[in-house]
Amino acid sequence: MKKIGLIVNPVAGMGGSVGLKGTDGNMYKKALEMNANPITPERTKEFLSYIKNFSDITFFTAPGRMGEDYLREFNISLKVVGSISENVSAEDTKKIAEEMVKKIDLLVFVGGDGTARDIYDAVGLKKPVVAVPSGVKMFSSVFAVNPRAAAEMVDSFIKGTDLKEEEVLDIDEDAFRNNKLSATLYGYLNVPYVKRLLQSGKEASRTDKHTMEDKEGIAKHIIEEMDDEILYLFGPGTTTKAITDKLNLPKTLLGIDAVFKGKIVGKDLNEEGILKLLKKYNKVKIVITPIGGNGFIFGRGNKQFTFDVIRRIGKENIIVVGTEPKLRNLNCLRIDTGSLEVDKTLQGYIKVVTGYREKMMMEVRC
Amino acid sequence: MKKYIKLNMNEMPYPPPIEVINSAKKGLSNLNRYTSQESLEMLKNMLSDYSKAPKEHIILSSGSDLLIREMIHLFSKRRKTIVADPTFFPITQAAKQFASKLLKIRLSEPSFDLPISYLIDELSEQSLVVIDSPNNPTGKILLDRVEDIVETGAYLLIDEAYYEFSGIGFAELVKDHPNLAVTRTMDKAFSLAGARIGYLIAGKTFLNDFSGFDTFLPLPSVYAAIEALKNIDYMKKNVNKIIDERKRVEREAARIGVKVYPSNTNFLLMKTGVLEVARELKKAGVLVFDLSNQLSSEFIRVSIGTKDENNFFLFSLGKLIKTYNQNSFK
Repeated sequence: MKKIGLIVNPVAGMGGSVGLKGTDGNMYKKALEMNANPITPERTKEFLSYIKNFSDITFFTAPGRMGEDYLREFNISLKVVGSISENVSAEDTKKIAEEMVKKIDLLVFVGGDGTARDIYDAVGLKKPVVAVPSGVKMFSSVFAVNPRAAAEMVDSFIKGTDLKEEEVLDIDEDAFRNNKLSATLYGYLNVPYVKRLLQSGKEASRTDKHTMEDKEGIAKHIIEEMDDEILYLFGPGTTTKAITDKLNLPKTLLGIDAVFKGKIVGKDLNEEGILKLLKKYNKVKIVITPIGGNGFIFGRGNKQFTFDVIRRIGKENIIVVGTEPKLRNLNCLRIDTGSLEVDKTLQGYIKVVTGYREKMMMEVRC
Repeated sequence: MKKYIKLNMNEMPYPPPIEVINSAKKGLSNLNRYTSQESLEMLKNMLSDYSKAPKEHIILSSGSDLLIREMIHLFSKRRKTIVADPTFFPITQAAKQFASKLLKIRLSEPSFDLPISYLIDELSEQSLVVIDSPNNPTGKILLDRVEDIVETGAYLLIDEAYYEFSGIGFAELVKDHPNLAVTRTMDKAFSLAGARIGYLIAGKTFLNDFSGFDTFLPLPSVYAAIEALKNIDYMKKNVNKIIDERKRVEREAARIGVKVYPSNTNFLLMKTGVLEVARELKKAGVLVFDLSNQLSSEFIRVSIGTKDENNFFLFSLGKLIKTYNQNSFK
């Protein structure tokens, strides 16, 4: 019988669809004001529903919406640890993790990069952890590729698997909101090592000659194919920025901008802003680039493209662009939209524009 | 000059039989003469018998890579060119240079399979498909039938450089499918890398564009190739030795913690877990093919050499992995 701890950060990921790019500090209050919906309940339930060996587990859980509420739905044996404040904060996560660590064999947390930092502060390398991805960016390599993979990692841990130290990154969210990606190594957490279930961390943007030539070719190709009848939603990243640069348009580097007939018609859009544009324009295409290092095209760093947005726009209207040096390090592309149904519609092979009149067909896995 | 163990070019480690060497010498002693048409015809006749393909469909060249390049040069214009990725480097190079539109189909771990149904979906517009099967560098057979592709009307070129090791080839089918072509080489299994005898077995669609392409191959090479084709059993014996040795290397490498992919060739694709592994092995005196530009720097393609060469490679790799792991855990 394994003793497994569960801590859910109930506010993690709420900034995603409303375009806040994170909920660290007080940003989650702003997310609430903007009518953001909680993300973690569904992610936690999805994770729990995929665990095969409940009979081999005794759960130790944080109270209420930090874990207990979801486990109760599964009618399994559990022990509640500690207490939480009304407005849960990072301090609650740390306090409960510290209390829990002596009692458990493995800690599962549901959250994003900020939650991972809190868990590192409290647990360090004392106990292995499984990280259920439920944040906005999730650039750290401690995370499973999706909640289902996290459940499989728990099952692997129960059966016995090697552990590996994976990185926890400290992302400066204020800088991120100002279009700067500032990531530093915060520490390491021990995770059950099943490589195909773990995402890789984000790698830095490349500036080598090959990459720059590819970006130039990609921009030329996309601009040549652009149609004045279509609204283009350009996702985050330096590759999509290369296209708007060539169009002489300003780009929100880490946000989503809309372009129609060569002009910007939407800046740093959130889900609501995108849905408004979808009502106004008949034909819409998304232009996105995978995250270097882990290959996510949806579900990491561009959560404004919610599964509802993606479902409405459709797979046939998604243009993926990426330089060869970036793709070289990716075995496949990844998606984790939060909707298994939408993820499945995107599964299979998709063409990635890699240069002028050059494409690479790559597998998309979820 | 430092001496290296060469396991980077997929050469046969065993020399050709003495009869082949003597024939090449005979060619050398007549180096002041061009190769006669009769000799070229004889070589084509023998290759026709060997490949079970009509002689009129065979085009000779100094190396099959030149033929691949020429095929792409001639037939990629106004067509979408589709290649596997990774693939034999000259295929990508020529496709990038000549293709008006290029689609690379990524082969992914763990299987490195070619997604045939997705490939066929791409053939609604005029296309040239260039596939190496077995694939270099994965060693995987990518095509087990060609009908689904050629019946769409697409032009299909298969590079079968490692046919003798895989035993799977489509040369016999070119007479039935005018849009099918196959390249082969005597560089590998026949121990004739230095002679550079490559040949194209092309369907009717391609033949006119190749008229006059295969004249004036070097005399020693042609003589050596003719003699080698008289000694097929010698080649087969060597191929079997390499396959046995490949199986041994595969087992031994797996034992030292290397991920080795199943191969149908005279080389193995390995994932070592050690970054910049080809560079590190070079320092140890072993040349292997660096795949950092095609897969990642922990991947290498290792030719099967003699038993001693392979043992030295395995020893060097084992030592490297041990040191790497010790340093990683510090």
